[in-house]
Amino acid sequence: MDVLLNWLANSPDFAVPYALAALGLILTERSGVLSLGAEGYMLIGALVGVGAQLAFGAAGISLFLAMLAAAVVSLLFALMVITLRVNQVIAGLAIVFFCQGLSSLLGTLLNWTNQAIIGTGAVPLGALADIPLFGHILFHQNIVVYLTVPVFILVTLFINRSTTGLRLRAVGENPQAADAAGLSVGWYRLGAIVAGAALVGLSGAYLSVYSTKLWVAGMTGGRGWIAVGLVIFARWSPWRALAGALLFGCIEALIPQLAAAGVKLPQYFVLMTPYAVTLGVMVWVALAKSGADNEPGALGQPFVREERG
Amino acid sequence: MPELVPDMNPLALPGAPPSAAATPPGTVPSPDVGPSGVADAGATGGADEGANGVASAVTNEATSGVARTARRVPLASRRFTVEIRQQLAWHWQALILAIAILAGMAISAAILIAAGIAPKDLLNEFVMQTFFDKQNFEAVLFQAAPMIMIGLGASIAFRARFWNLGLEGQMIFGAIAATAISLYEIGPETTRLPLMFAAAASAGLLWALGPALLKLRLSVNEIISTLMLNYLASNFLLHLVYGAWKDTKDNFPHSPQFRAFERLPDVFAGLSSAIPLALFVALLAWWFVDISRAGLYLRFVNANPRMADAVGVPVRKMTLTAVLVSGALAGVAGFVVAAGQEGRLTQSFYTGYGFSGILIAFLARNNPLAASVVAILIAGLFVTGRSLQVFYQIPFSMVQLIQAIIVICVACSDFFIRHRLRPVVGRGA
Repeated sequence: MDVLLNWLANSPDFAVPYALAALGLILTERSGVLSLGAEGYMLIGALVGVGAQLAFGAAGISLFLAMLAAAVVSLLFALMVITLRVNQVIAGLAIVFFCQGLSSLLGTLLNWTNQAIIGTGAVPLGALADIPLFGHILFHQNIVVYLTVPVFILVTLFINRSTTGLRLRAVGENPQAADAAGLSVGWYRLGAIVAGAALVGLSGAYLSVYSTKLWVAGMTGGRGWIAVGLVIFARWSPWRALAGALLFGCIEALIPQLAAAGVKLPQYFVLMTPYAVTLGVMVWVALAKSGADNEPGALGQPFVREERG
Repeated sequence: MPELVPDMNPLALPGAPPSAAATPPGTVPSPDVGPSGVADAGATGGADEGANGVASAVTNEATSGVARTARRVPLASRRFTVEIRQQLAWHWQALILAIAILAGMAISAAILIAAGIAPKDLLNEFVMQTFFDKQNFEAVLFQAAPMIMIGLGASIAFRARFWNLGLEGQMIFGAIAATAISLYEIGPETTRLPLMFAAAASAGLLWALGPALLKLRLSVNEIISTLMLNYLASNFLLHLVYGAWKDTKDNFPHSPQFRAFERLPDVFAGLSSAIPLALFVALLAWWFVDISRAGLYLRFVNANPRMADAVGVPVRKMTLTAVLVSGALAGVAGFVVAAGQEGRLTQSFYTGYGFSGILIAFLARNNPLAASVVAILIAGLFVTGRSLQVFYQIPFSMVQLIQAIIVICVACSDFFIRHRLRPVVGRGA
């Protein structure tokens, strides 16, 4: 029983990075830009989060600076895919490896690697935390876990209900039509790339500032790629992405719980599970092929005005 | 920043003859005729370099007239039109590519200097020590052998429009299969090496089979599936070297040393047989891509899969073949690292190869012979990266950063190969 309770209470902590990264990716990809750079933005966010935490010690500032740093890096991606019309797969891969190299180099040169930081613990939500069972699972989390829910609501409302969101989706579905209607495809895509990267950077900072409480090169361990897979699994719908993130959070939270409970499993096969599950859900969603599909019509295609008609 | 404005000149009627050609040759158009002339030439696609001697000569004069007028406008407020080029002469392409690579190297050099390497050591470390020192150059060639195979593997998969990012995983399984042949002493001594080679190739091929079938049958995104398989492979490798295959002699996480006849022999002192093997494989790849019927089909698939299907090219079969060849090549690269360089299975021998393969294929435009040359340069970068790690405590990820910067610069330079920028005079400026 204790194991079960601990497992469920720890799951949101593991789910938040996936959720925020997937949300950022959805925001970017709804504008028609294929964003493969998530792993890179997460690493930049994680590094800057730890650096800011070492310098200022205030989690709020660290998260903000991490978002800012990821947004700045994404400007390079935007320059490549919007202005210079580079193949979005090549641009995304280049950004990932650029960020991997840069974050590892900076982490070593600035001596931020393996420096333990003061993290922030759980904040019980008053009386709600005292509810038996559910109180411990749902209302004994850190601030970011609570904030993830309103962030999801806001971004979903923005995409689905606001005029700007409608225009963003138009740019993603059919940039030629959006262009003819007088929308600036480039500016909408730029906004979506930068805002999405900031969210992914936030998820990286969460990982280093709240979960591991230190920086190690390559610490995201493919979570950015899993988030990319998660977006495909969710068919570009934020709520389904949140559900998928919870699934991955539960799986990842289960690993240490099983070890603590003394279950003997081959360690490296256990570490494979998130990747195997990603592969599994990708196959499953390809087999199912049903329900709402929000895949943007122009995903991955550069908009070239001179080539219209 | 110059602002890019699309060509919206109302005077540019589709189908209208280029007004520049209508101007008698030899007359310099007046400035107010200039802009519409330029726009017309672009809009009708008649500005193909050298396609029409008279027209292009006159267009050049029109351009110079425009340039003279544009010079008065401050650079910051100058506007440009973007036109799509039909074709750019190869020497201009080469020049743009060279500028891009130089720019990438300059940025990398600036980062290295910022990281604390004296500028005068930079040239010494990167060029003199790596390519002109006999021992180091042998190390570069040695490193180039697996790099060539990885680069070829990437090129062939990309030719079939398949983003094989699973090269590292296929390489890992190639090395694991080769090590298994050695550990379980399968086959007599004389055929051991060929057997290891074959096992590595088939293991890499099988590891690539899954994502290829998933893509063809269910259109599962191969970028994610191949990457996930990399993580599975690397964890399986750790499972082996920390578990059943751990060397009992020194208890380090690597497999026991291969016996002498299980290692790639030297052709002559200092030159491993891995290098001729890689060159032979490169020739085979060149035959496959440029001469064989399959290569011709692949070019159809690469240009336009739906069109290829419509004219009867077996698109799915060709894609599958290309991906499997790609996986087999990556598997062989794993064999070369295990049996040639390390002499055993180690826990992180594959680091950096995946992106290197992509980089090589990208810079070589998926051409096998060009890929071999680029692979030697990347091998030089690897060797330098290791010495930077030892002598300057610069992490090996610097290599990855340099590679990424070069890819970014070259990818951006493509814009100038495919587009032409022209200053706009008159309106808006």
